[in-house]
Amino acid sequence: MAAAGLRCCIQNLSRHKRILPNISRLTSYNKTAIWKNTRILCTVSPSVVQNEKKEVETRLSEYGRYLLDIIPKYLQGVNLAHGDELEILIYPDALIPTLTFLRDHTNAQFESLVDITAIDVPKREHRFEIIYNLLSLRFNSRIRVKTYTDELTPIESITPIFPGANWFEREVWDMYGVYFANHPDLRRILTDYGFEGHPQRKDFPLSGYTEIRYDDELKRIVSEPVEFAQEFRKFDLETPWEQFPAYREDKQKSLEAGKEIKEEESKK
Amino acid sequence: MAGPLKRTTNLTGLAVAQNPRQTLISLYNKVLSAVGDLPEETGYRRHTEEITKNRLQIVESETNTELIEQKINCGQVEELIVQAEKELNLVDKMKEWQPWQPLAEDAPADQWKWP
Repeated sequence: MAAAGLRCCIQNLSRHKRILPNISRLTSYNKTAIWKNTRILCTVSPSVVQNEKKEVETRLSEYGRYLLDIIPKYLQGVNLAHGDELEILIYPDALIPTLTFLRDHTNAQFESLVDITAIDVPKREHRFEIIYNLLSLRFNSRIRVKTYTDELTPIESITPIFPGANWFEREVWDMYGVYFANHPDLRRILTDYGFEGHPQRKDFPLSGYTEIRYDDELKRIVSEPVEFAQEFRKFDLETPWEQFPAYREDKQKSLEAGKEIKEEESKK
Repeated sequence: MAGPLKRTTNLTGLAVAQNPRQTLISLYNKVLSAVGDLPEETGYRRHTEEITKNRLQIVESETNTELIEQKINCGQVEELIVQAEKELNLVDKMKEWQPWQPLAEDAPADQWKWP
């Protein structure tokens, strides 16, 4: 209803181009419509955008093949995420050779370490995936290097190669508990001084385990187990309709401890 | 020889190179001889030789540093010197690491599977 009224409004204006519209009478919604009409809109035709995307994809996949040609010993895989992000997957012992190569080789020159992060996927054998983001200022391109490790295996620190990795690795240690061997100063960086646990792990609860309050008798802050007025409620916010048919997991493999016990009992 | 030296590289900590052409030629030759020790047909040797020979040819054919910079198109001569030094450093390490061998460690099953 309002849209039909708007269309009539715009048509009237186009007929009387020389006459300035009486803006004061119109509502604010109609005013924006007028400005849209008078502004020059720049549109890009679909084929140009697709060609640019293809160009980026071919360029990055060629570079991935180039890397595969030079360092096949280390590369477990090369990905092209989101159409324009090159990722290389390596095993943990290959970390220092790969990053030295990417920093020093003339046709790479990834001098800038942008970030080091980790992700926790508890189902995997090596649950943590350490991710290094590099940037080449010379060639204006980025690359991502991914390795894996578990809770107990240390991974080599890259501070000899990229001194800026110091605090990033401290953060990964603090948040995930990944130990970096030969790190000059590996200690906590974001958590509180006496904090126990690694907050970004998937098994660490959202509320944490302890909370602090000021105790008037002791005249200091005390740390106590966390207490909530209401017990934690988990809402399953999924839709009733299947969202991703391509990623359907086998129902038997899903983790439902109660169900397993019932099956064992029925077998007995 | 190559005209008056430029006053500054406009990069902090990078001094203007005296006699850059000679430095570059000697560095590229060092890189080529170092890379020559690696086994032939390895990707690293082929690609590094290609890049270095191309740059060496440009440097040898031109005496003017500005033209060298333009033709190679990878920054100023001082930066080219730094890049060559790094590549030389890398060749030594590559001899030790030998990255052209086939994949050393396979990923555990489903390690890279997502989701």
